[in-house]
Amino acid sequence: MSNASFPVLSLVILLPLLGAIAVAVTRNVRLAKNIALLFATLELIATGVVVQLFNANPGNNFQLVERYPWMPSLNIEYLLGVDGISVLFLPMSALLTLMAIIASWNSVQYLTRFHFALLLVLEGITIGVFLALDMALFFLFWELTLPPIFFLIGLWGIGSGRRSAAIKYTLFMLFGGVPLLFATLILAANHATVTGGSIPQDMAFSLPVLLETPLPDNLQALVFLLLLLGFAVKAPLVPFHTWLPTVAMEGPAQLTAVLTGLKLGAFGIIRFAMPLAPSAAVEYSWVLGILGAITLVYSALIALQQTNLRRLLAYASISHVGLVIVGIASLNMQGIQGAIFQLLNFTMVAGSLMLVAGFIQHRLGSTEVIHLGGLAKVMPRLTCFYFLFALASIGVPGTSGFPAELLLIVSTMLAHPSISIAALIGAILSAAYMLSFTRRAFFGPVTQIGIKQMQDLRPRELTLLCVSALLILGFGFFPNSVLKINKATAEAWLSRLMDQPVLVSKAKQG
Amino acid sequence: MDALVILIPLMPLAAAAAIGMGHLFGVISGETDESITADIAGWTISMSSLLALTLLGAGLLGKNTGFYTVGHWLNSDTLDIQINFITGGFNVRLAALFSVLLAIVTHFSVNYMHREAGYHRFFFILSLFSSAMLLLVLSGNAVGTFIGWEVAGLCSYFLIAYAYDRPVAVANATRVFVTNRIGDAAFVLGAGLSYAWLDSVNWSNINAVSAQLTPGQATGIALCFAVAAFAKSAQLPFTPWLARAMEGPTPSSAVFYGAVMVHAGVYLLILLRPIFEHAPLAMAVVAIVGLMTAVYGFVVGLTQTDVKSSLIFATSGQLGLMFLECGLGFWQLAGWHLCAHAVVRGYQFLTAPSLMHNVPSNYIETSRRKVSAPAHAHRLRRVGDVPAWIYVASLQRFWLDQITDWALVKPVRGLAHDLSYFDDHIVDRIMGIPAPAIRTISSLAQMEEQMVGAQLDNDSDTFAQGSGLAGKLTEWMAAVLHWFEDRFVLRGIGKNAINYGRELGHIANKFEQSVLRPRYLVLFVFITLLVAF
Repeated sequence: MSNASFPVLSLVILLPLLGAIAVAVTRNVRLAKNIALLFATLELIATGVVVQLFNANPGNNFQLVERYPWMPSLNIEYLLGVDGISVLFLPMSALLTLMAIIASWNSVQYLTRFHFALLLVLEGITIGVFLALDMALFFLFWELTLPPIFFLIGLWGIGSGRRSAAIKYTLFMLFGGVPLLFATLILAANHATVTGGSIPQDMAFSLPVLLETPLPDNLQALVFLLLLLGFAVKAPLVPFHTWLPTVAMEGPAQLTAVLTGLKLGAFGIIRFAMPLAPSAAVEYSWVLGILGAITLVYSALIALQQTNLRRLLAYASISHVGLVIVGIASLNMQGIQGAIFQLLNFTMVAGSLMLVAGFIQHRLGSTEVIHLGGLAKVMPRLTCFYFLFALASIGVPGTSGFPAELLLIVSTMLAHPSISIAALIGAILSAAYMLSFTRRAFFGPVTQIGIKQMQDLRPRELTLLCVSALLILGFGFFPNSVLKINKATAEAWLSRLMDQPVLVSKAKQG
Repeated sequence: MDALVILIPLMPLAAAAAIGMGHLFGVISGETDESITADIAGWTISMSSLLALTLLGAGLLGKNTGFYTVGHWLNSDTLDIQINFITGGFNVRLAALFSVLLAIVTHFSVNYMHREAGYHRFFFILSLFSSAMLLLVLSGNAVGTFIGWEVAGLCSYFLIAYAYDRPVAVANATRVFVTNRIGDAAFVLGAGLSYAWLDSVNWSNINAVSAQLTPGQATGIALCFAVAAFAKSAQLPFTPWLARAMEGPTPSSAVFYGAVMVHAGVYLLILLRPIFEHAPLAMAVVAIVGLMTAVYGFVVGLTQTDVKSSLIFATSGQLGLMFLECGLGFWQLAGWHLCAHAVVRGYQFLTAPSLMHNVPSNYIETSRRKVSAPAHAHRLRRVGDVPAWIYVASLQRFWLDQITDWALVKPVRGLAHDLSYFDDHIVDRIMGIPAPAIRTISSLAQMEEQMVGAQLDNDSDTFAQGSGLAGKLTEWMAAVLHWFEDRFVLRGIGKNAINYGRELGHIANKFEQSVLRPRYLVLFVFITLLVAF
């Protein structure tokens, strides 16, 4: 674990923040927009460099590590690093932000500079969440995502209830933050106890240290459940999911694309909840599996009933999180690799679908099915792209949804065969809700007069969707390109969970 | 020679990509570019069929190794999915036959689809379908076959919804795709089980080590694949989708439901022959389902009034016979039956639209006269000698669609509706809506009382005070009991505990009623079964 010669990870976090400042101080709106675009592009390149620098061979745990003391009295450090789990999330979130900026190029009419600055701030903080290896730093970034999202929903939301939606989102997230904080403190204090030190001086917040610190059995379950609760709100898992449909209805499309695209909660479960309380994670994996299965089928059934595209996408996204959780709970290579693959996949699929919904909303003022109908005739290109993304979300071969879903289903079949039935039912239901909505909204005769004058995708939007379509097809045809990057890390992750001395002794007793 | 096999599915795929991209970006559009599209699609599929025939010839000359691996598609742990092909035997024969049929239909469509709206779209889908179908029959592993399987189903969706501004067509397409999706899920389950029990998804490995399986495992795998085959080949209870699929243009009906795609199920059974031979129960199921479908297809086909419908029920019936042959162990016969049926049915479908021109012009008149003649009708009934109820059942296609609606679609919709209500009105209420933070004073009267000084909210009661341990304990107990009495008994009854109770009873009653609805009963049974596993 050596310090990198050039602090590239700090650069990746700081670049969007600098961009945000530059956008905020620029007087000219046009120029400010271009600056935002420039910084988002630079950020994408920088994250690309990180992926290039990353070494996917086994034996390297956390790479490009940067370590500076932050609060020495509490042993809190500014500690950043990437591994195979997090590395690909960086370019994906950079790309998604870039897409969000381009998609909202003309649709934000007032406080334009502030809007783009906030999007960039959100990008920087989100990347910080992916990179932070110190629990306190992680918690800081985690909670810092709230203010930009609060303002983005509250100020530029498209629904009439945007203010209360913003409050609802913030309250939910604050509620989720409390157990995370408690779990962090318990872990830090435990380190002091185990090493025999005193509480404030010898606490540890850094993830690599905490991973090596054994956690007593009585605390394992508590820490696991606290972390799970905290991340379940963000993921979201049933019954903490109700903020997402509200935000999808009230919030601006570009923000909802970022929110549904980047599943920070599921990432947190992989990164923190499972490895930090390993024996509890193994013991309670069935709870996680059942939670995931309930989320999967429950929200798929509700999605069947939706009449609004944005609400439908919100529930579809919840249902897919359920599948990811089921995969994580199955505790095998297929499960964890499929889960990471599916999460990456959704930055593109869910994000692009939300953006398409935003395009429709921007043109027609509604995504309610009663106002749509026959879109395919008027907007063939938009329909084509929508359909491709919808197919990826169903998991049709050729798109990136298929290898991810296949891995997840195979993993559950190996671990919990009865849950795999739920996963398969979810796969059938996903085809049903997606296609039946498509049938009513995009096909059929044109009934509304407003639709006849609608414009198809403009070049800016077309380019945008082409990029994500290419990625989706590329991942679908060559899934190994993604899997080989996270293979070594996933193996290490899994062996940490499965090769525990405690478990082995328990198995011997049993 | 083996390496040629890659190009067979790849050429139509390239054609599909070229046509699709060209059309999407406006390079190929309109009537003037029809010949470009037709050339791309026509030449590539012709090349494919030539390659397939070459491969077949080489195979007959003994120049093939029978298996060709290109590389790895997906690796995770021991799950290693390769890109590999079977280059010999039944697969290549079938690929040659299908590619020739596909080439013929593609060339037929060039003129048939002329000036149709969506000309380019049609050839894009047809090329994609050709690619998927050839991958399906040539792929050496279950996942490759599944990719072809599912993409072919998707193309069938696209072509049924070809006239997408007609609501009926799109509704039928959606129904067909979702029905097929059930079969697809069974396919994935089968492939997953083979990986779990045999540690491989390659067909050759699955078949080679099938002897090591216990009969139970073999039956499990075989039944999964059998359900997938039933769905794809429109066997009972999935048969109704085939009749709904007749919305597409005629060449697509010919190639999907007459000649090529419906046979995929039979192909799958023949491919998995070793496993089925270890699973007598699965064989029996296949035979029974095949027999029932054959009877069903012929009975329903007798009363159809348009040519495409009657052909499609005949197809269903013939497929049933093939399943019966497989189930009884006549694999060779089923293979030949498949090939012969594909050729004949493809021809029949292609000529169906021109039937009116081909028959003598007085045919319709004479037939009408014959039917309207009472004596003749009487005789017909006597010759057929069927009870009236069979006639009605046949006309109604044995109510299969209605039964599925009643037993599956409606309960799922109902469940979705209930859950949606539950989510909006209960989960969201409990979890979600930010409540006002200030405890407001409920009424003016209460406020006045407070101002006067009546300490209604004051819980501390200075009446009971004690000292010492026992005294303090008693005081504490008294306080708790007082609190309970005050809060629940006095205030509760005084306010509206009775109303609350009544409301609670009402809700419980409603809950019980809804729980006793069949869909919930079935759901609970299902969940119990899942837990029991």
